[in-house]
Amino acid sequence: MIIEPIEDFGLSKKQQQRTLFSKIGVVGCGKDGQNIARIASSNGMEVVFIELSQARIDNAFNKLSIVLDRRIENWGMTQSEKKLTLSRIKGSLDFKDLSDCDFVIEAIRAESSDRKITERKEVFMKIEEVVSPECIIATNSTTIIITELSSELKYHDRCVSLHFFVQSPEARICEVVKGLYTSEIVYNKVLKFVKMVNRQAIPVEESAGLISIRLYTALLNEACEVLLEGVGAMVDIDSVWKVGFGMRFGPFELADILGIDKINRWMENLYSEFGDPRYMASPVIKKLVRARRFGVHTCCGFYQYDDKGKIIGNGPLSTEKL
Amino acid sequence: MKILVINCGSSSIKYQFYSLAENRILAKGIVEKIGMKGSFLKHEKESGQKVLFEGEILDHKIGIEYILGVLSSAKHGCIGSLDEINAVGHRVVHGGEEFSESVLITEEVIQTLEKFIELAPLHNPPNLKGIYAIKALIPDIPQVAVFDTAFHHTMPQHAFMYAIPYALYKKYGIRRYGFHGTSHRYVSNRACEILGADSKTLKIITCHLGNGASACAIKYGESVDTSMGFTPLEGLIMGTRSGDIDMGAVSYIMDKEKIGTKSASVLFNKHSGLLGITGISSDLREIRAGAYEKGDERCLLALKMFNYRIKKYIGSYAAAMGGVDVLVFTGGIGENSGVTRAGICDNLEFMGIQIDEQINESCMGVEQVISQKDSKVKVMVVPTNEELMIAIDTQKIVDGIL
Repeated sequence: MIIEPIEDFGLSKKQQQRTLFSKIGVVGCGKDGQNIARIASSNGMEVVFIELSQARIDNAFNKLSIVLDRRIENWGMTQSEKKLTLSRIKGSLDFKDLSDCDFVIEAIRAESSDRKITERKEVFMKIEEVVSPECIIATNSTTIIITELSSELKYHDRCVSLHFFVQSPEARICEVVKGLYTSEIVYNKVLKFVKMVNRQAIPVEESAGLISIRLYTALLNEACEVLLEGVGAMVDIDSVWKVGFGMRFGPFELADILGIDKINRWMENLYSEFGDPRYMASPVIKKLVRARRFGVHTCCGFYQYDDKGKIIGNGPLSTEKL
Repeated sequence: MKILVINCGSSSIKYQFYSLAENRILAKGIVEKIGMKGSFLKHEKESGQKVLFEGEILDHKIGIEYILGVLSSAKHGCIGSLDEINAVGHRVVHGGEEFSESVLITEEVIQTLEKFIELAPLHNPPNLKGIYAIKALIPDIPQVAVFDTAFHHTMPQHAFMYAIPYALYKKYGIRRYGFHGTSHRYVSNRACEILGADSKTLKIITCHLGNGASACAIKYGESVDTSMGFTPLEGLIMGTRSGDIDMGAVSYIMDKEKIGTKSASVLFNKHSGLLGITGISSDLREIRAGAYEKGDERCLLALKMFNYRIKKYIGSYAAAMGGVDVLVFTGGIGENSGVTRAGICDNLEFMGIQIDEQINESCMGVEQVISQKDSKVKVMVVPTNEELMIAIDTQKIVDGIL
């Protein structure tokens, strides 16, 4: 069979436009990064993610595989779709591999909150060094102000903040934040990206905590108060929220899924941003963080979990005197 | 008249380029993996020579641009300029209740088709993309839409309605639409031609058995019932689709497995059918190997179930039409698998279906009568050719306007 390059056979010889979002980059492949990689890949995009070590890359693939297996077990996907999804995702240690991406999302997990902004800024600058000027750079962070993150970039009009929902990765919604510098063109492209991954874009004004995190942290703090006052037991509080209000998870279950350490950092950021005491994390949350009971990923938080993430009982908290 | 037939799938475009007057296919091919890495265009010239074009094909429009580019290229093409293409015919999956036959595509038609996206979210959008692309690339060329559903438009209301609240039919158009219409129409017409009979005098049952499968009852040239319904999920057992199933079981499974409508749809569309029963494959050849070479019981069961379901439909359609004169097999399985045809026709002698075992066994993908000479019902194999049907319809409609 004869093989020919197809470019010579276009009707017009003019330069073909590149597809928007044929390849996207994800920096940091923790839980958030994995979800973003999986969502983009299952919508047909090539994904490259950057991690700090090969071990972390392997771990990310492992976790991705488990998540996809669970979807197959639940009839949500077929084996061949899983293979296809994974085959579109590549892991790398080198930022240079982001060079041909037209969209890069930062989804790192900062270890300490004081270094959080600096670390993310560094990542943003490292991304800018390798990508083309048209490439859009986004953060998945919710309590960091994108204007601040982008301020030191050469082309700071290309930054947005984009928040996928981790607790329920299939939630077909995504908060999109336009920073002070973000251009209309970039913003519209991001809206298109959100549409391409089959999600509804919720436009949000630049404000720490967006809509989702502000609503949820307030809910969790109040739930902790109710618990502390002895008004109701933990399981019952969750039940009231789930059954009574038709929610998928109760506030405590959701905290364990999201990661209590992360919620604590959100609250610290919100408090420092707004200075309003209602954002101060409840003592219950502080206590769990100190005990490193972060939730599902440490097998213990408000509830206790087996290694598959199934609830096996209440965490020590409910029986301890606070 | 030279006609380009286009069939746009979600990530592929099949095309055939006809010169109908001379009864020639000037070229054909397929664009695959549109918008993905490794996209390519495979082109076959009239001489049979194949050329593979590799490179980025970002969307349907660019895919079609390349098809036109290849067709009109000096090196691999068969026309001097695009002006030589007289018309373009498109396969469009869902024509809703609006379209009872193929139509010339106008702005109004496009608007109506956009309304049907909701009814066929997987199929109609790529079909429309093909129409937009041609409109942009060769603006004044006549385009014709040939619908999968159109042939079944003649079904009487008592056959196409579901016994659910009538309001739902009014509100959402919930009814049986049927699919594979172009194929059922082509093979039934062709069968009449081969038999030298008038379709207006015959009761025909056509079985399109491929990865998707459906049966159709055609009385005096008109579809009066078909096995696929509101979506292509209903009816026969297919490669990965369950076909008929009790709704009670569906809601029970959803409840027990704690799944929503989306996963349920994947379950019944992609995990079920032959694949679901065997757990091995959706491909009948592999299942047959499993059954007869390895003695796998579930493979045997799947084969029996597959045949049995078709047999039931044949019986019910014969009853619905008050008899049957011709039984036609088509589609990948229907055309090539003598064993399946024999299995389906087994024990149907009482209704006049007697196949000639030898002829049936040796018949592979060719037009042939496979029943015994004195069989009351003529059983036939007729390879389907939807593209030709689309080309013929396109020519008829364009002839009418030019």
